[in-house]
Amino acid sequence: MEFLLENILNLIGFIVGIIIGIFAYIGFRNTGSPVLFRLTIAFLAIGIGFGIIWGGYVIDDVFLQEGKINRGLQALGLGTQTIGYFFIAFSHTIKSFFPKSRYLRSVGIIPLFLLSTMSIEHIIRSFSFILLVYGAIETFVSFLEGKQKGTLAVGIGLGMLAFGEFIAWYSLVFPETILYSISILLKISGLISLFLPISKLPLRKMKIDEFVEDEDEKFGV
Amino acid sequence: MGAYRKQIQIVGDVLYAAEELTIDHNEASITNLIQKANISHSRISKILTNLVSQGLLEQVDSKIACKYRISMSGKDFLREYRKFSEFTDNFGLTI
Repeated sequence: MEFLLENILNLIGFIVGIIIGIFAYIGFRNTGSPVLFRLTIAFLAIGIGFGIIWGGYVIDDVFLQEGKINRGLQALGLGTQTIGYFFIAFSHTIKSFFPKSRYLRSVGIIPLFLLSTMSIEHIIRSFSFILLVYGAIETFVSFLEGKQKGTLAVGIGLGMLAFGEFIAWYSLVFPETILYSISILLKISGLISLFLPISKLPLRKMKIDEFVEDEDEKFGV
Repeated sequence: MGAYRKQIQIVGDVLYAAEELTIDHNEASITNLIQKANISHSRISKILTNLVSQGLLEQVDSKIACKYRISMSGKDFLREYRKFSEFTDNFGLTI
């Protein structure tokens, strides 16, 4: 069951990440916006990260049939995703390393101390969690200022990914429980929520690159 | 105090003003564009020259003063600008 859920999660993550990444790249090509460039790196990294893990599961399922993913591939995939989460947080300009909320600081940091010495994978997950919480908080702050539904959906999406990561830690403390399945379902919901506002935008390419390149040159951007 | 606008946002605002004025009056004067896009005269002159040279704005012949009209590619650019502006807004960011 968990194997199937992991496959679904990573496949959805791969598809969502790549689609949003390509869309951001088209935006960057057309407008030259550095924000869109950072989002391109962020979502391509997230998509590739999920893709690596999904590939690991597929390799195991088809060839190795050990019932578990290669730990190196898992760490590589998680690390690539973390780079993506970093660029989302970086776009908001990281002001502090830990979340602003005192409650999140006190609660969120506990598993970091519990698990960070166990393996590189857990350290990477800890970074992912912190970056996701930061991204979610900043997005919620923007929602409070602009009251846009799309911003709320992205904030909820990032929040659910962070919460899923948080629950996943506790599933390591309490193995053989339903916690891990819950964490995967939370992450799937988070990815869908992240994709919702983007899916409403017309996803087609238009050639206006020539203008932007000349424009940048003349304005010295 | 107004928020700092990036170059791309200023171009977007000028094109938006030109589009609105083209709909209302079929053309836009520099004074109208300055007021609607909230930009200084010295700055808009440079931007207008570039937008015209790129074919996003059309210069309309007038005996009194320079008038402008948004072109089809200008409308296309503005549509794309709005789309990606909304995209970054969804992430709580500005384009």
